[in-house]
Amino acid sequence: MQTNRPRRPGELLFNLAMVLASLFLLWSAYGISGFEALSAPGTVPMVTTATMLICAVLILRETLRKSGTTTETLRQHILPVPVIVTIAAIGAYALALKPLGFLPTSFLFLTGMIRYLARYSLARSALLALLILIIIYLVFRIVFTVLMPEGLVPEAEIIAWVKRLFRGEGG
Amino acid sequence: MMDAIQAFLIPLLEPRLLGLIAIGTFAGIYVGAIPGLSVTMAVSILISFTFSWEVYPALALMIGIYMGGVYGGSRTAILLNIPGAPAAIATALDGFPMAKKGLAGEAIGIATVVSFIGGFIGIFALAAFAPTLSDFALRFQPRDYFMLGVLGILLVGSLSGESLVKGIFAGALGIGIGAVGMDPLTFTERFTFGIDGLRGGVSFIAVMIGMFGISEGLMQLHTVNTPAVKQKIGRIIPSWAQVRRHLPLGLQTSTIGTVIGALPGTGGDIAALIAYDHAKRVTRNPEVPFGQGAVEGLVAPETANNAAVGGAFIPMLTLGIPGDAVTAIIIGALFIHGLNPGPLLMTSQPDMFWFIVSSLVLANIFILIFGLTGIRFFVKIVELPRAVLLPAILLLSVVGAYAVNNSLTDVYWMLGFGVFGYFMKLYGYPLGPVILGVILSRLLDDNWRRAIISDLESPVRLMQGILTSPLSLALFAFILLIFLSKTPLWGLIFRRKQT
Amino acid sequence: MLMRSVFGAALALCLGAIPALAEYPEREIQGIIQWGAGGSTDTVARAITPHAEAVLGGTVVMQNITGGVGAIALNRVAEAEADGYTLLFGAENPLLYKVMGLGEKDYGDFVPINIIARGVPILVARPDAPFDTFPELVDYVRDNPRMVKFGSTGPGGLPSVVTAMINSVTPLDVTFVPYDGDGPALTALQGGAIDVMPAVLGAAIEGIRGGTMKPIALFDVEPSPQLPDVPTIVSTNPEFAEMLPWGPFFGVFVKKGTPDEIVAELVAAYAEAAQQPDFVDLINNRGFKMLSLSGAEAEAFLADWQSTTAWLMHEAGLTQASPEEFDIPRP
Repeated sequence: MQTNRPRRPGELLFNLAMVLASLFLLWSAYGISGFEALSAPGTVPMVTTATMLICAVLILRETLRKSGTTTETLRQHILPVPVIVTIAAIGAYALALKPLGFLPTSFLFLTGMIRYLARYSLARSALLALLILIIIYLVFRIVFTVLMPEGLVPEAEIIAWVKRLFRGEGG
Repeated sequence: MMDAIQAFLIPLLEPRLLGLIAIGTFAGIYVGAIPGLSVTMAVSILISFTFSWEVYPALALMIGIYMGGVYGGSRTAILLNIPGAPAAIATALDGFPMAKKGLAGEAIGIATVVSFIGGFIGIFALAAFAPTLSDFALRFQPRDYFMLGVLGILLVGSLSGESLVKGIFAGALGIGIGAVGMDPLTFTERFTFGIDGLRGGVSFIAVMIGMFGISEGLMQLHTVNTPAVKQKIGRIIPSWAQVRRHLPLGLQTSTIGTVIGALPGTGGDIAALIAYDHAKRVTRNPEVPFGQGAVEGLVAPETANNAAVGGAFIPMLTLGIPGDAVTAIIIGALFIHGLNPGPLLMTSQPDMFWFIVSSLVLANIFILIFGLTGIRFFVKIVELPRAVLLPAILLLSVVGAYAVNNSLTDVYWMLGFGVFGYFMKLYGYPLGPVILGVILSRLLDDNWRRAIISDLESPVRLMQGILTSPLSLALFAFILLIFLSKTPLWGLIFRRKQT
Repeated sequence: MLMRSVFGAALALCLGAIPALAEYPEREIQGIIQWGAGGSTDTVARAITPHAEAVLGGTVVMQNITGGVGAIALNRVAEAEADGYTLLFGAENPLLYKVMGLGEKDYGDFVPINIIARGVPILVARPDAPFDTFPELVDYVRDNPRMVKFGSTGPGGLPSVVTAMINSVTPLDVTFVPYDGDGPALTALQGGAIDVMPAVLGAAIEGIRGGTMKPIALFDVEPSPQLPDVPTIVSTNPEFAEMLPWGPFFGVFVKKGTPDEIVAELVAAYAEAAQQPDFVDLINNRGFKMLSLSGAEAEAFLADWQSTTAWLMHEAGLTQASPEEFDIPRP
């Protein structure tokens, strides 16, 4: 398992975090049922987290042996700006989904992301976003009746209204 | 016999049924391809939709969706590295690298043809050996299921890439993730840390979409402005010579798929992974190494998961025991339509058996037809500018993760695992073993506990049980063999030539 | 939600109020099923709802939300607005959440729309088991302590309640092998992984008819019309009579606080749906007993069930907290 690749930026920190996380999870697994019985609900979790801990320690040891000098930088090779922006955008999307509703949030998200990544004009980005959104909406909401959070747009009422119109009951 | 032939011909002779199977298969391919939409969900919706129909047309539509859906998962796995369904996870391992090389069209072509072959073998087994196979499947005891899980987890060795230790870490993490939530056997809370949202566990689909879809999307942001790989649009339908070359492997993996599909409690996802491992073991000299676009890595899971469909119907039609989640719903549908699926179904209603077999055959043929047409159009998706495609994939991932349980918590999980997976990728951890661990977690954990409880908490008794049952002994020997073949010890004993 | 009403108003203006937004239901109703696709609750919910939709003149979008012994689904409906647009299709489990420490909510936070049907427990064994009747089973267990394997499905499930009943009459020293539902457990029974399983008749009825399982005793006071030859437990052990009839049930619920008109409309719709001949057939075929209770009758049924079962479980030492803490009266 000897790779002579130098340590990447942040690698040491990540592997250290894995050791700590494994330790915490092992402690948590122990808390499920302790050493009660071979058939206890905590037995398999304890075995797996112990495995994780052993592996994480081995990985950390290997990382420490690697050379720390590298030409890579955190900003360029690990977390370039587009990655940070995208993670933030998805996070914001998930937060706004409930209060704003599916349609406006998705539209804003798509327009913003396309504009940012492709650097198209706002109009072109919005148009593309609309197109993608319509396809996704048709498939998920209309065909498979996945009820997305409604938020601002009373879409269920609109759909019901359209359906009634088709049935000719309205009126 | 005449009755059987008559029942077999029903869907062929009635255009409406034929049409429904076609529509079902077509829709199924898309259901399977879109992450977050599952065949289970689609067939459930169909129960209400076909409520007032006769039983034949309702079944025709469901079978079409089922067959098409299992195949459809390969589409997005190959094109976008997001398996549309768990059964297509192994397909992504070599399918996506092929697409990256501009061979997406060829990959889909091969996947389609071998899915057809696998599907057909599963159906053949159903038609010819259903009673024998279901007897065999029922004989699996908890300890055998546990060993099957161990067999699956040994796959970590194949999925690890550069570092085995990191692979084992990832696999163990996966098993841990699978254990999160309220334990379904004792209702004990595990890894919930007192958080209410964790009691239901972490949605497996959310982990899968995050680890595969989001992390890959984030990786691609590094090179967002380089143009997409131009796809070669040469040969799409694989040549007979190529099919024939992979046929022996395909037959083996189809058999694996059928048997694992027939076991109640395991389905196409586990079948595909075990088949992938099998392919890696028996293929001495692949033209392209596994994980970098080996055709064998595509043939094995795609034959196995489609063969598992026929397999899943075996216990259902002979005993009324579902072979997987979808056949469980179809059993419910039969009840609603006034039938009583059980051990007597075959004798009281043999027409139902032959009708299902024949519908499966037709759906399988439609897969070939729909699968091979329109590939050029699909391949174009990968050629879209990445800056447009990426936001669309991200949105699809979010909606898909939400759709599984209508739950925002799942979206957060997906995002969390996406970012975590991104870092794992950067630092050389393989992601495949995580998903493998999640898939196998319940199989291993539940059956370990059942096995050791059945043997009164005594490992000695458990071992005695394994050594005195032919089935368990065979599984045990197989595990030992595979384990040894993956350790340096094997090389010392057999001194195989290194290529 | 100011924005929303502005949108709504704008929309109404645009549409020129042509088809005025009709009364309930004016959009899809969400139906949340507490158990997985293909299970009893799921099948019954999906079979009755199309009939109810026809009466209501609306659509019910059905969805399975599983996990936490059904508590995830229950909480989801409890968190939704009490406007009649979210229905819960649930089984008996929530009535035990409090004493089992599985949740703070139960059907007390809901209004029953229809308690559809009740299941009948039955004790089944693998066909080659060395006992045929309940007394023989008791004798066999006495001679072979710990060797007989009973399937179980976690505390609070039907097997644990039936086992608690048995233990309150004649303690049995058996080994319990846990499964995550009676379906998988009955499969294991047919494969010989377990010897005996307390199950709901509906799940076992086809296996019994086909000879892949052997009925030991029906846990009811009268024989089942579907399987008249299976002896009831009271025919061999009359001391069980005071705890019976007992059985798991399933029903439709809405959150407490839902407007009375809407509750009335739903009650009427599901009551009518429950009378449809094909639905009645389904219930009978699967060995359930039709109840179709609503209003005060349903409330009384729930209270009675909770009191019997919670105390039975408590006396068997299987609860986390005493029913007294939650004001559940002794039966």
